[in-house]
Amino acid sequence: MSARIAPEDLLSGGAYRRRVSAIEFAGVTRRFAVPRGGTYVAVEDVSLSVAPGEFVAIVGPTGGGKSTLLNLAAGLIRPSAGAVSSFGQRVDGINRRAAYLFQQDVLLPWKTALDNVVLGPLLRRRPKGQAEALARQWLARVGLRGFENRYPHQLSGGMRKRVALAQSLIVGPEILLMDEPFSALDVQTRALMENDLLRIWQDDRKTVLFVTHDLEEAIALADRVLVLSAGPGARIIGAHAVALSRPRDVTEVRLEPAFQDVYRAVWGQLRGEVLRAYAASVPALDEPSGTRSARS
Amino acid sequence: MIRARLLPYQLGVLLAVLAVWQVTTQRRWVDPFFFSQPSAVAGRVGEWFATGFIYRHLWTTALETVLAFLVGAALGVAFGFWFARSPALSAIFDPYLKIANALPRVVLAPIFTLWFGLGVLSKVAFGVTLVFFIVFFNTYQGIREVDANLLNNTRMLGANEGDLVRHVLLPSALVWILSSLHTSVGLALVGAVVGEYLGAGRGLGYVIAQSEGTFDTTGVFAGMTVLAAFTLVIDLIVTLIERRLLAWKPEAAGRP
Repeated sequence: MSARIAPEDLLSGGAYRRRVSAIEFAGVTRRFAVPRGGTYVAVEDVSLSVAPGEFVAIVGPTGGGKSTLLNLAAGLIRPSAGAVSSFGQRVDGINRRAAYLFQQDVLLPWKTALDNVVLGPLLRRRPKGQAEALARQWLARVGLRGFENRYPHQLSGGMRKRVALAQSLIVGPEILLMDEPFSALDVQTRALMENDLLRIWQDDRKTVLFVTHDLEEAIALADRVLVLSAGPGARIIGAHAVALSRPRDVTEVRLEPAFQDVYRAVWGQLRGEVLRAYAASVPALDEPSGTRSARS
Repeated sequence: MIRARLLPYQLGVLLAVLAVWQVTTQRRWVDPFFFSQPSAVAGRVGEWFATGFIYRHLWTTALETVLAFLVGAALGVAFGFWFARSPALSAIFDPYLKIANALPRVVLAPIFTLWFGLGVLSKVAFGVTLVFFIVFFNTYQGIREVDANLLNNTRMLGANEGDLVRHVLLPSALVWILSSLHTSVGLALVGAVVGEYLGAGRGLGYVIAQSEGTFDTTGVFAGMTVLAAFTLVIDLIVTLIERRLLAWKPEAAGRP
């Protein structure tokens, strides 16, 4: 990661005049090579900025380049065009200020819950005793005291997500990138996890970029909701402020009129994109169901 | 347990075979010169252990087996790792590896005897050629199939390339390597015994070959019995190692 100031900031003096963004995308395009030849444009000309301490959710149809945006912010992939910066520094390689909560199970199956959580501090060369004490604290904080020596397969899906949350937060990131982290959980567990996330977030207000296809989840959690168009070439097509008071309870906040207003506004934009994404996927779905009915 | 209930039947099969063998040779329905006798074989094995004759042969075979396994496995892991991490290298060497693996390795044994002499070294070299490919292919596969998300997550936590190897790549490949451990240890033993059989001064293979040379069928069967018992012991040790290293796996934890 180099410590240079983005050119547009030098020109406008913006870096000195306003608070610097935790995450800033400036005209970012990302293309992927397709195995069969040619390229696929995942996101096209995306510009966005997330202020320090802000909770921003990105909603969009399934398969629409949402994860690509997170991978760009994390520094796992580089933009084909445009620039990504974090706290004024260009993201070039892994973004050391960010932690990433993946959609998939990414705990190391051969390590216990404690060893998984302690991994981050150890990799950052903290002394072992100190790192382990900290890991125990974090496991307790996500409600898993007494489960330190369980292996991931001995924990439920919700517990594994809690371990993953502790694993990400223990390194003290300034930014938390979350990729549909709760989508694999059942509805009740999911609501509990969302409330826990808000409770933990409330303590020190990290910057959060949260990606989901679930509109209700996005509004219940975030300060601002960005709407991503259907891929290929996904763009940001809308931004909506969520004026709901904090602390929030995700199950109760849904009943407030302000929630409903934002919901209607975002859904108005999202609807067309979802239908577009669906229409693009329908021919592929149609064929197998046709053969199935023909056989029976 | 099902295992405990099966045991009487399994022992019954063994006893029945031994009884038929003993009775038919006792009554001279078949010639004991060609088939020997369970009682004679047991007597010979007892004599070998009582006089201490067998120990130096057992020790030689065990040494060759362990050395062949360790060297073969170390080379297999190192090369498997290296090739999996550099696709260009694996693409260039791919046809040669396939050819080398397709070659029946037994034809190498006389050459190794020529190169490395009649001692331990030629057997180890022969065993290594058998073990190497099993471990190599499994390591290669294991490294290639590591979940990209596990790597990315560990990178985000602050891992450099060396950390990735230690915390993600090696443990992930270990599952594949261990799954081939029974086969590769067995092949190390095959390498040792076949090597001794073809030319040596000591070892279980040598004992069997010597007995054959003097039409001593009792000696051949006694050698086979000791070899079988030795294999069972090694297999048991491997199983214990496997259980210890794969304690985190769901199947291993569920095992009694």
